[in-house]
Amino acid sequence: MLRILIEKEIREIIGSAKFAVIFGACAILILTSCYVGARTYQANRAQYEAAKAENLRQFEGMTDWFNIQQHRIFLPPQPLASLVNGVSNDIGRTTEVWGRGELSAQDSKFGDEPIYAVFRFLDLEFMFQVVLSLFAVLLGYDAISGEKERGTLKLSFANAVPRDKYILGKIIGSLTALTVPLVVALGIGSLLLPLLGVPLSGDDWLRLFLVILTGLLYFAAFLTLSIFVSARTERSSNSFLVLLVVWILCVLIVPRASVLLAGRAVNVPSVDEIAAQKARFQQQQWHEDRASWSNFKPTKSDDPNAMMDELNRYMEEQADIRDKKMQEFTARLNEQRYNKQVEQQNLAFSLARVSPAATLSLGVTSLAGTSITLKDHYNDEAKAYQSLYANFMKEKTGTNPGGRMFMFRAKIEDGEEVKPEPINPQELPEFEYHQPDLAQSISAAALDMGLLAFFNLLFFAGAFVSFLRYDVR
Amino acid sequence: MSELPLQSTQPMLEAVNLTKRYEDGVLALDRVSFQVRAGEIFAMLGGNGAGKTTTINLFLNFIEPTEGEARINGIVTHLEPLKAKEQIAFVSENVMLYANFTAIQNLDFFARLGGQTHYTRDDYHNVLLRVGLAKEAHHKRLRGYSKGMRQKCGIAIAILKNAPAILLDEPTSGLDPKAGHDFIELLASLRAEGKAILMSTHDIFRAKEIADSVAIMNDGKIIMQRPAAALVDTDLEQLYMQYMAGRSSELVG
Ligand SMILES: Nc1ncnc2c1ncn2[C@@H]1O[C@H](COP(=O)(O)OP(=O)(O)OP(=O)(O)O)[C@@H](O)[C@H]1O
Ligand SMILES: [Mg+2]
Repeated sequence: MLRILIEKEIREIIGSAKFAVIFGACAILILTSCYVGARTYQANRAQYEAAKAENLRQFEGMTDWFNIQQHRIFLPPQPLASLVNGVSNDIGRTTEVWGRGELSAQDSKFGDEPIYAVFRFLDLEFMFQVVLSLFAVLLGYDAISGEKERGTLKLSFANAVPRDKYILGKIIGSLTALTVPLVVALGIGSLLLPLLGVPLSGDDWLRLFLVILTGLLYFAAFLTLSIFVSARTERSSNSFLVLLVVWILCVLIVPRASVLLAGRAVNVPSVDEIAAQKARFQQQQWHEDRASWSNFKPTKSDDPNAMMDELNRYMEEQADIRDKKMQEFTARLNEQRYNKQVEQQNLAFSLARVSPAATLSLGVTSLAGTSITLKDHYNDEAKAYQSLYANFMKEKTGTNPGGRMFMFRAKIEDGEEVKPEPINPQELPEFEYHQPDLAQSISAAALDMGLLAFFNLLFFAGAFVSFLRYDVR
Repeated sequence: MSELPLQSTQPMLEAVNLTKRYEDGVLALDRVSFQVRAGEIFAMLGGNGAGKTTTINLFLNFIEPTEGEARINGIVTHLEPLKAKEQIAFVSENVMLYANFTAIQNLDFFARLGGQTHYTRDDYHNVLLRVGLAKEAHHKRLRGYSKGMRQKCGIAIAILKNAPAILLDEPTSGLDPKAGHDFIELLASLRAEGKAILMSTHDIFRAKEIADSVAIMNDGKIIMQRPAAALVDTDLEQLYMQYMAGRSSELVG
C-alpha cells in the first residue's frame, strides 16, 4: 500500500509541468551559482597573489631588515567561501603587521568594490535559502488541499486506505521526487568546481557535503511545512497564501528582526568609544614616557656607537613596558566589549533560530568557515603570524621594531661604512591561513543541523496529525 | 454471466435511522432507513440539498453519523471503515482524477489502491472500451479530457474494484444522451453480476427505467419509497412534483 502511494506521488510530481519548469530553473541556478562561485574564487585568488607579490616588491632593493617597519598580510580566498560567502566579503582582508601592537584588518571586498554589496552575491547559500525554499513552497502548497480540490482524495479514500499510510506516502514520495533531482544537480555542480579551477581538499569536500546536506534538510523542512499547511487548509489558494506569509517571515523578517531586537536589548560599546579611550590612555603613556626619557643617562658617554646602542635598548625597553601596559588596558576594554558582543550575538541568534532560514545561514557559514567568527579567527591567525614575524625580525635585526618608534642605526665598522648587501624579501615568513578546525566547524554547525532536523520532525508530525483529522470530502 | 446469486437475507447496503447534523446545525439527514440487496439498484431522487450526497458520504465514512448507522454487508462503516471500504466502489459526482496521468495510469493507480494488483494492460483497455471510451484516448493525459470522458474513467475505476456494492453520486450528470443510454445498460449488466447499487440522480426517467427501488428525498427525509414494480404505470415525474408540492403546501399550511 505504502509503495503504491509513494510510487504514484513520485510519478505525479515528475510528470507535472510545474516540476519540469521549477526543476529546470533550479538546476540552472545551482550550476550558475557553482560557476559564479568558481569564477569569483579565481578572480579573488589572482587579486590575492598580486597583492602578495606587490607587498614583497616594495622591499626590493632594501639593504637592511631594520628598515621594514611593517608589512601587509592578506586573507587568502577560500574555496568554500566562494560558495557560501557568509561574512567573508564584509570583513577586512588586509592586515598591516607590525612587530608588536594590536592588529586590525582593513579593505573588505564590499568596501573596495561596493557594487557587489548592493544586491549581494548569488551564492549557494542564497540559492538554498531563498530560491529552494520558495520552490519547496511552490511544489508542496497543494499537496493535500490540491488533491481535495481535484476530488482525488475522495476517490482514494473510497478504498481501504489508512490515513497514516496515505500521508506517509505523500511525504516520503514528494521528498524523494524532489530531493533526488536536486542532489543530482548539486552533485554535478560540486564536481564542476575542480574542473573550473577551484582546488578542494579532502576537508573541503567533507565541508561541502555537509553544506549540501544542511541545505537539503532546510529544503525538506520547507517541503514538510508546505505539506503540513496544506493539510490544515481546505483550499490550495489558502495554503499558498499562508505559506507565502510564513516564508516571508522566516526568510526575510525573522533573521533581521532578531538582530535588531538583540541590538536594542544588549548594549555594546561602540568602536569609536573604545578607540577614544585607547587614544586617551596612549597619550597619557607618551607623556609619562617623555618625562622618563629625560632620566636617560648613558653610562658610556665617550663611545657614540655604544651610546646609540644603549639608547636603542633603553627605548626598546620603554616600548616594551608601554606596550605591555597598553596591551593590558586594551585587552580589558576589548574583553568587555567582546563579552557584550557575544551576549548580543547569542541573543540575536537564539531568537533568529526560530526561523529555519536563519538556522540554515548559521549552519552553512559555520561549515564553510565564513560565519561571524571568521573575523576573530583571521585576527587570531594574524596574531600568530605577528609573533612569528617578530621573532624573525629579532633574529635579523636584534630588536623587535614596533609601531611609532624611531630607531637610528647605521652599520659602521672600522669607522667606514660597509657597502650593504640587499636583503632577500622572500626570506620573510609567509602568512599561512588555516581554516578553523573541521571538528570545530562541525560542532559549531551541529546545533543548527540538529534544529533543521527537528523542524523536519515537527512539521512532519504536524502534517501527520492534521491529516488524521482532515476532511477528505 | 451465469445465474443470479441467491438473494441473501442480509442486505448489502443498509441505512438504519441514519441521521446527520452538520457542525453548523444543519440537519442534513433525518432518520433515514433503507436497504439495498445484492443484484438490486436503489435510486435516490430529490432536489438540491435533499441529503443524497450526505447519505453516500456516510456510507463512505467521509463523515460520521450523528445517530444511526450505515452498514455495508453488515459492517458498520463508522466502526470499521477500512473493512467496510473493501466492499464498496464509488463514483463521485464530478470525477477529476490525476490530470498528469493517462487514463491507463489513473486506472492502474486506483485499481492497485483498491487491492486489485493482478490486472494487465489489456484488462485496462477492455474496461475502458466497456464504459465507452475510444481506444485513442486511453494513453492521453486526462488534462485534455471532457467531463463525460472523465466520468467514464471514474466508472471504469469503480468496475475494476470489483466490489459487491457500488455507490454512484449523479453518475449520468456529465454524459451525452448516447453515453447515458450506454451507462444504463452497463448498470444493468453490473446488477446482473450481483452488485448492490446505490445511486443518487436527478434523472427521473432513467431512474424509473433501471431502478429496482426508488426513493424521493426531501429535507433529509425519505418522503416516498416504492419498488419499481409499483411504479410501472405511474408518471414518476408527476408523482415527484406532487410530493414536492406537498412539501411546500405543508410549509404554507
Ligand atoms: N459540510 C457541510 N456542512 C454543513 N452543511 C452541509 C455540508 N454539506 C452539506 N450540507 C448541507 O446538507 C444538506 C444536504 O446536502 P447534500 O449535499 O447531501 O445534498 P444533495 O442531495 O446531494 O444535493 P445536490 O442534488 O445539490 O447534490 C444541504 O442543506 C447542505 O447545505
Ligand atoms: Mg449531491
